[in-house]
Amino acid sequence: MKRISIDPITRLEGHGKIEIFLADDGSVANCYFQVPELRGFEKFVEGMPIEEVPRVVSRICGV
Amino acid sequence: MAKLKLASYWAAACGGCDVAILDLHEKILDIAAAMDIVFWPIATDFKYSDVEAMPDGNIDVTLFHGAVRNSENEHLAHLLRAKSKVLVAFGSCAHMGGIPGLANLFTREEIFRRVYQESQSTVNPEKVEPQPKLTVPEGEITIPEFYDTVKTLGQITDVDYYVPGCPPTPKQIWIVVQAIVSGQLPPKGAVVGASEKTQCDECTRKKQEKKITRFKRIATAQPDPDNCFLEQGFLCMGPVTRGGCDTRCQLSGVGCRGCYGPPPGVLDQGAKALSAITSVIEAKDEAEIQKIIDEIPDPLRSFNRFGIPSSLITRKVL
Repeated sequence: MKRISIDPITRLEGHGKIEIFLADDGSVANCYFQVPELRGFEKFVEGMPIEEVPRVVSRICGV
Repeated sequence: MAKLKLASYWAAACGGCDVAILDLHEKILDIAAAMDIVFWPIATDFKYSDVEAMPDGNIDVTLFHGAVRNSENEHLAHLLRAKSKVLVAFGSCAHMGGIPGLANLFTREEIFRRVYQESQSTVNPEKVEPQPKLTVPEGEITIPEFYDTVKTLGQITDVDYYVPGCPPTPKQIWIVVQAIVSGQLPPKGAVVGASEKTQCDECTRKKQEKKITRFKRIATAQPDPDNCFLEQGFLCMGPVTRGGCDTRCQLSGVGCRGCYGPPPGVLDQGAKALSAITSVIEAKDEAEIQKIIDEIPDPLRSFNRFGIPSSLITRKVL
């Protein structure tokens, strides 16, 4: 099965890639959008003084 | 003269460093006049395969933002090192681990459990977690391996220069760009785009050498705008942080966060903060010292906010 990889996707904030699988007739058989990125803000802000949280989570996306 | 070839890449980052470059505004046109951008995911459509196809040393300068959090970040660090004559660790994350480095206070398992099972917005009864390889009907798809420990760029590969800041200020970025274009770069390994002194040397707030008798939180007390934060009892990383940002946090009403990293000669910014800040506590006896220290809000993350991976301990070990 023919495969087209778009890696990375560009001109946006963050990391992503797209895998497109083509059937024999050239039509799209299936497509996977993947986000190969995790930093774990959900965990590492736990227990932080509340006034710190906005100053830390602003680094989720700086765009 | 041929144009310089410039790359800018983000690993475990937020994009704020890229936006800081764009905040040069019309000076971007001067960069475009002097340099060809050959790889910059936020702004151009070059792929990893384009970088892989380049001969080694093809890129004159790569500004690498972001920490090394997963196997893709590590692969790109090695790839861009090989393809670049000069590799710059740009911004707090590449320099010291940055905010993503706070994850080193937890394990991969703790992070995955919180993110993919426990978070309030997650419904995942089968407890599915990301797999580096997944077989689907059409073939195999992959995502990077999430590492247990966040590392700095310099812990992964050979770095030529470090530009500190979360993000570096446009003023300092412009100084770095001019140094690159003119070829007037300092010796390898130098911190560029920053001062050789501490934040306190630049700070305009009044200092009176007062001792600290209690710590306050900015959530529950209001600092006055003219005097030193520390002398008022508010945490400020100024004494243990390299200058160069024009004290932008102190001017906006909050103590220095420490993002420009340790000043010259300081190995561990957090340890130095502990030493510097606790040494100005004034108390009659040990019980009072303990009471004052207990008021320090979140000392571990406050003293090491941007630099857990580059600290001597690098991560939580127990």
